[in-house]
Amino acid sequence: MANTVIGSSIVIDGEISGDEVLVIQGTVKGKISLKESLYVEGSGVVEADIDTQNVEIAGRVTGNIVASDKVELKTDCRVVGDIKAPRILIADGASFKGNVDMDMKER
Amino acid sequence: MAQGETGIIGKGIVIRGNLTGGGDLVIEGRVEGQIALKNHLTIEGTGKVQADIRAEELTINGEASGNIDASTRVAINASAKVAGDIKAPRVVIEDGAVFNGSIEMDVKLSFEKADNTHGEYGHWFEHRHRRGDFR
Amino acid sequence: MATAKELADNAVDNTVVGPSILISGRLTGDEDLTVRGRVEGELTLSRTLIVEPSGVVKANVAVKNAIVSGVVVGNINATESVELTREGRMVGDIRAPRVIIVDGASFRGRVDMGDVEPGRLPAERPTVARPQAVTRPTVRPGATPPRPAARRRPPWCPGRRLRRTSRCRRLRPRRPRSPRARPSRRVRLPLSRRAVLRDPCHPWWRLARRRRSW
Repeated sequence: MANTVIGSSIVIDGEISGDEVLVIQGTVKGKISLKESLYVEGSGVVEADIDTQNVEIAGRVTGNIVASDKVELKTDCRVVGDIKAPRILIADGASFKGNVDMDMKER
Repeated sequence: MAQGETGIIGKGIVIRGNLTGGGDLVIEGRVEGQIALKNHLTIEGTGKVQADIRAEELTINGEASGNIDASTRVAINASAKVAGDIKAPRVVIEDGAVFNGSIEMDVKLSFEKADNTHGEYGHWFEHRHRRGDFR
Repeated sequence: MATAKELADNAVDNTVVGPSILISGRLTGDEDLTVRGRVEGELTLSRTLIVEPSGVVKANVAVKNAIVSGVVVGNINATESVELTREGRMVGDIRAPRVIIVDGASFRGRVDMGDVEPGRLPAERPTVARPQAVTRPTVRPGATPPRPAARRRPPWCPGRRLRRTSRCRRLRPRRPRSPRARPSRRVRLPLSRRAVLRDPCHPWWRLARRRRSW
């Protein structure tokens, strides 16, 4: 399976778009729009608006998240921003600040 | 390439001026001026050329400076030192070679449109041509 | 679907930009980067950039090593080496102490094997004529005739001579030879009048535009 990994020492200041799985271990500022899943790992820092299908966050995210399927906040993640998705999972130990919007129409 | 037609400019030879010819040529000495050759030119490790070179194919092991125009291929080998502009459909630079200058090959970038050859008046020309104004 | 852990284990300490990904903006980092998709903007790495055959980089690049098997449009500064492989295609300037161009690669631009400062992004290609003498070595004899100053010409008029007949900044480029050009039956306009035809600001054109029939 094709996949994209942004390594831990990489800093991207700009826009990322595409239709495949993206794994972020480094830093991304700007905007992310994907048609697939996004994984923000423990070392990952994202300061961007995110628009994807699935998001799984274990690192730090600042920005608004829009997912067409699911947003999952793992333990020890830190998220600041609004989340809009039909399914949202927040694990024990996750820290989150912002609004949650689970619009029933989206299902 | 017939082996018999290969000419050699030996180590002790210095040529100043224009050099033209049809056969293959190997330069082991010095040439200054201009070289126009129909076939394969080889500059050996001992060769030093300060000239604008036109040839079909060019192999450089020695030193060359000047503009190079080859119709098939230019090979700059590891021991070569080259300075100047190269124009050829195929250019090879080996690891260890020293080159300063520009290279012009045909680069087909699939995602880019072809250049508009007539610049900003291109449409004007096309139109006029079709109408036959220039005949 | 694979989890993030599994994906990360596949690529240990290595960044991959997948084939359908587009990154536009500034990318910096201290690890190897493999590009199979598109990267546009600026790219600064302290290690190796690998552009795979499906990769397209339209950026000014500053790296230690670069291996280009895909497409690069832009300038590359490398502190160690730049290699264009068989499938590599590049338009732009290269500055690196070691430059390798393999047979089959295509390249248009300048090569400079002088020293490169690490991490310094290459300058944009100047649109004006580049001072030719700068990178030319001293060995170059004065006897060799310099190339015609083609770079001086305006971009909309490649390789054609222009003459001005009235005070206007733009001239029509001299008309190109059509492939089926043959000696015209019409009398050719004298040179001065042909110059008028090439000059779009000349009053003749104003009259010509109004003219109904030829």
